[in-house]
Amino acid sequence: MKKVMIIEDAPTIREELTLLLTNEGYQTAAVTDFTDVERQVQAASPDLILLDLGLPGRDGLSLCAGIRKFSRIPIILVTGRDTANDELLALSLGGDDYITKPYNIPVLLARIRAVLRRSGEPAGPDTLQAAGLTLHLSRGTASANGQTADLSRNELKILACLMSHTGQIVSREDLIEALWDNKIYIDDNTLSVNMTRLRGKLSEIGLPGLIKTRRGMGYQL
Amino acid sequence: MNFGKFLSDRLGRIFAFFLCAALAALFLSATGTQPGILLLLLPALLMVFILIQLSDFFRQRSRLSELENILNGLDQKYLFAECAPPAGEIYERRLFELFRRAGRAMTGAVSDAQASQREYREYVERWVHEVKTPLTAARLIGQSLNGETRRRLIGELDQLQAHVERALFYARAESPERDCLLRQTKLDAIVFEAIENHRTLLLQSGIRIETKGLEIPVYTDEKWAVFLLGQLLQNAVRYRGESPVIVLSARSLGNEAQLLVQDNGIGIPSHELPRIFDRGFTGSNGRARGGSTGMGLYLCKKLAGFLELGLSLCSEEGKGTAVTLTFPARETTSCQQAEPSRAGQEL
Repeated sequence: MKKVMIIEDAPTIREELTLLLTNEGYQTAAVTDFTDVERQVQAASPDLILLDLGLPGRDGLSLCAGIRKFSRIPIILVTGRDTANDELLALSLGGDDYITKPYNIPVLLARIRAVLRRSGEPAGPDTLQAAGLTLHLSRGTASANGQTADLSRNELKILACLMSHTGQIVSREDLIEALWDNKIYIDDNTLSVNMTRLRGKLSEIGLPGLIKTRRGMGYQL
Repeated sequence: MNFGKFLSDRLGRIFAFFLCAALAALFLSATGTQPGILLLLLPALLMVFILIQLSDFFRQRSRLSELENILNGLDQKYLFAECAPPAGEIYERRLFELFRRAGRAMTGAVSDAQASQREYREYVERWVHEVKTPLTAARLIGQSLNGETRRRLIGELDQLQAHVERALFYARAESPERDCLLRQTKLDAIVFEAIENHRTLLLQSGIRIETKGLEIPVYTDEKWAVFLLGQLLQNAVRYRGESPVIVLSARSLGNEAQLLVQDNGIGIPSHELPRIFDRGFTGSNGRARGGSTGMGLYLCKKLAGFLELGLSLCSEEGKGTAVTLTFPARETTSCQQAEPSRAGQEL
């Protein structure tokens, strides 16, 4: 489990971020005392740091530079000051990414995933398994009963989303949002088309009726 | 000032001269001066009078043109009275003294106004900065809600953020050079960020988004360009028609790159097209639908001017609107080499 350290002075944001990241399956550590942050970072040795630049007492930028002196831990800088100079300075002082408040939550989560992936850590399993079906994410194929089907990008993401919520009902809106997270801007009609094609491919490899439609609620695996 | 006007200005004086001369001639002839002397004396008097008038005319004319040159050369024209060379005559000196007093009062008023405008701008920027923390917290809290409630709440927060952002950019547009950083970026990065910023709005409106051929490098300020494109997306959503579609496409034109934002919305009546970039202009569509501020396109035009973007819009009522943004772009090869060093270049 990846450990994310939150360095943020606004208590509400700190608490809500902790909650959010815990729900997303990360281990979290939050800094509440801003006197000796470097030592706390060293002690916690997280996989990623979310660092707010507007800290009390000490400038977040110098803190970022300070952490860089002893560690290559990926740092995502968070700030409300979205002037161009800040961004440049932040990245030149060793931040790996930069996000401005108020951020969209899906965007934040996507950035965290991207930075963790870039820092060389595998971003989770390459295969998903559920209900006798195996999904190879990097190859873009689904296999069952010894047969394999090639999936399009959209179909792959839809299936991955359903398989990571096995047994639960996933609403059409949630599916569309999951695709948007991957920069696939599909609408309701396109989702229906993709869903029909996906079901066709699944029935070709012997799994017809794997995706159930729950009227008025969404889809279920 | 021409000579005719000068003379008409001095009509009283000329009349008085001839009256005096006539009276003098009467008096002299009554006291027995010979007519021959009068015939010498009167033309001589007239000659002196004319010479005086001519010299007055040329003196005044050259003084006026000197002052006019000074005024034309001044940046701050209201400082004119301070810069004028001292006058010879007591009357003119007094006049200038009065002008200077009036000018000083105005200089004070102007600098007060500038200071309060700057303070206001700084306040707006600080306010926007402060409101971001609770806005971020609200987004995080909203995330823990379920499905429909979350989407609706995030939608409202998006709207709130869009308003806050417009206020910030409006304040910044007064002196954009302070905050503008031109560098190499890609059109797709700008487009994706703008779409992401308006995700809930776009999803709720059920609008279909098509993007094609956006991997073109451009040379601009990403943050401002994202804001600008965001305004266009908001408009496309607000004025959408049946089964709405937005098509974002790009083409490279050598030293320039064009981003085309097309929608199939309700369009703009042709007689309103000349005014759409005016401040506060809402148009018949805006009035009919409500919620229009008349600020979006005005800000776009203003920002496009600073970023040296071409911004043009054509629209047909009932068919849709197409906006073309023309970005400066470098040749791909020189851009790749120049990227690391250019990143620090600020304009």
